[in-house]
Amino acid sequence: LRAEDKVTVHFVNRDGEKITVQGNTGDSLLDVVIDKNLDFDGFGACEGTLACSTCHLIFEKDVYKQLGPITDEEMDMLDLAYGLTDTSRLGCQICLSKSLDGMTVKVPESVSDVRQSVDVGTTTS
Amino acid sequence: PPKKMLQALKGSARSASPVVRWLDSVWESRVSLPRQDRALKTLQEMPGPSGFSFAWDLFARGGLSRLHELQVEGRARYGPVWKASFGPILTVHVAEPALIEQVLRQEGQHPIRSDLSSWKDYRQLRGHAYGLLTAEGEEWQAIRSLLGKHMLRPRAVEAYSDTLNSVVTDLIAKLQFSRRQNAQGVVKDVASEFYRFGLEGISSVLFESRIGCLEPQVPPETERFIQAINTMFVMTLLTMAMPRWLHRLFPKPWRTFCQCWDYMFEFGPGPVQSWPTWLLVALVLMPEVQSALRREVEGVLGGREVPGAVDVAQMPLMKAVVKEVLRLYPVIPANARVIADRDIQVGGYLIPKKTLITLCHFATSRDPRFFSSPARFWPERWLSREEGHHPYASVPFGVGKRSCIGRRIAELELYLALARILTRFEVKPDPEGGEVRPMTRTLLVPQSHISLQFIER
Repeated sequence: LRAEDKVTVHFVNRDGEKITVQGNTGDSLLDVVIDKNLDFDGFGACEGTLACSTCHLIFEKDVYKQLGPITDEEMDMLDLAYGLTDTSRLGCQICLSKSLDGMTVKVPESVSDVRQSVDVGTTTS
Repeated sequence: PPKKMLQALKGSARSASPVVRWLDSVWESRVSLPRQDRALKTLQEMPGPSGFSFAWDLFARGGLSRLHELQVEGRARYGPVWKASFGPILTVHVAEPALIEQVLRQEGQHPIRSDLSSWKDYRQLRGHAYGLLTAEGEEWQAIRSLLGKHMLRPRAVEAYSDTLNSVVTDLIAKLQFSRRQNAQGVVKDVASEFYRFGLEGISSVLFESRIGCLEPQVPPETERFIQAINTMFVMTLLTMAMPRWLHRLFPKPWRTFCQCWDYMFEFGPGPVQSWPTWLLVALVLMPEVQSALRREVEGVLGGREVPGAVDVAQMPLMKAVVKEVLRLYPVIPANARVIADRDIQVGGYLIPKKTLITLCHFATSRDPRFFSSPARFWPERWLSREEGHHPYASVPFGVGKRSCIGRRIAELELYLALARILTRFEVKPDPEGGEVRPMTRTLLVPQSHISLQFIER
């Protein structure tokens, strides 16, 4: 693939760290996370089959407006996502294009993060 | 650290959506994040009926066929979380959307749908690989991934439009055939027509071949297959409630179970095909909704006869009608989870790992706190996102890795069928059948034969 087919994406993980990777145009953001072995716990549990909302990502406002239309099926799954925002989408439904080059996407906190951190202090198992 | 996390959590949940704000407040108030000063309660402290009274409800009061009603009773008597013993298995019932959400969010990498012990025993006996519904861990994951790719991905599902449309063509022909047997165009036992339609659809997708369920004369092989599936569902419940050693004493259900399984191969009982029937009954009882839906379909099709997946995407009322039927008559009224690898926290209780958790979807989807006038068939409630019901109050197909594998295909099949039925026929009550009984709360599968009049348009 030529350099112009590459799109740069900055992910901000749940610890607030920025991870910069390059993906191929046409790939979904879920593909990118898997190809680059990004370690976001529980991300993409249903493997892009629109059966869960674990690949929930939060976009910048102006980038969000550029993303393609949202289907009813994605909307229904997104409703089940934790910490939904006005600029939330599912990563498996967003495909990279040159116009998205350099965007920053945030991986939202998940309930299990909170629970696990609390669990350590309160349970004895 | 918990405090910092909570702040981060709030930050991410800050949104204009009332649902999210509501969720946020629920999360803080009723779900009650475990704090250092608040000890988690144990299973021993959980309310619930005694083993004897639950067994009495199940077997003496016909509870096996109305487990969904026991959910509503249990919710009223014990609150959002209670325990009960189902045969040798202790199960924790969860009947509050926010708590169902908690369970599903903690299910981890390889959630187990339920401990269907006889299925597992049976497969071990035969030395087969586990089937999709009962398999665990990696092996299950591999099967799920493969099927999911072909059956759930939106583009893959769209590709089935033509296949499904050809099954719909047969359904329309079968309805025509059946209505001609009657002077007034009444089709007797609509549920059976749809049941066969469903099986033919599954077969066309899974086996890539047609098996003739909708032929006026069903081939004998196919008839045996249909009978096998019918028996299977009841047997699953029966064998689940029976301790293993009892199988030796009462081998009959077990043997029937084995015989049925021979016809089943890799897929489980599949959805009970009663929802298309409920759907038509609802549209017959509410003719104004039927007309509105017909207008929507005809508006989108603009004179064309056969819709495709793209057309369906432009039919919001169609989707709302289907959601509303599934809210009132969930195909699977309760779902189950076994989280094998760790203890989880639900509603202030510590649930030990490997506990069978029953998610009471029927109870939550008819709870007036989440759906105003819950017994009313009112599809419009789904058209506005402002209605503000809890997103986990009605999840008829489940959520996540263990959600229904056939969901998207079943939905598409139903949309395509309904669109064609409505443009072809006006559906009315059987003029000689007296009043079409409003859907009873007692059984989720139509109790008696439902006959409807199909008037050619």
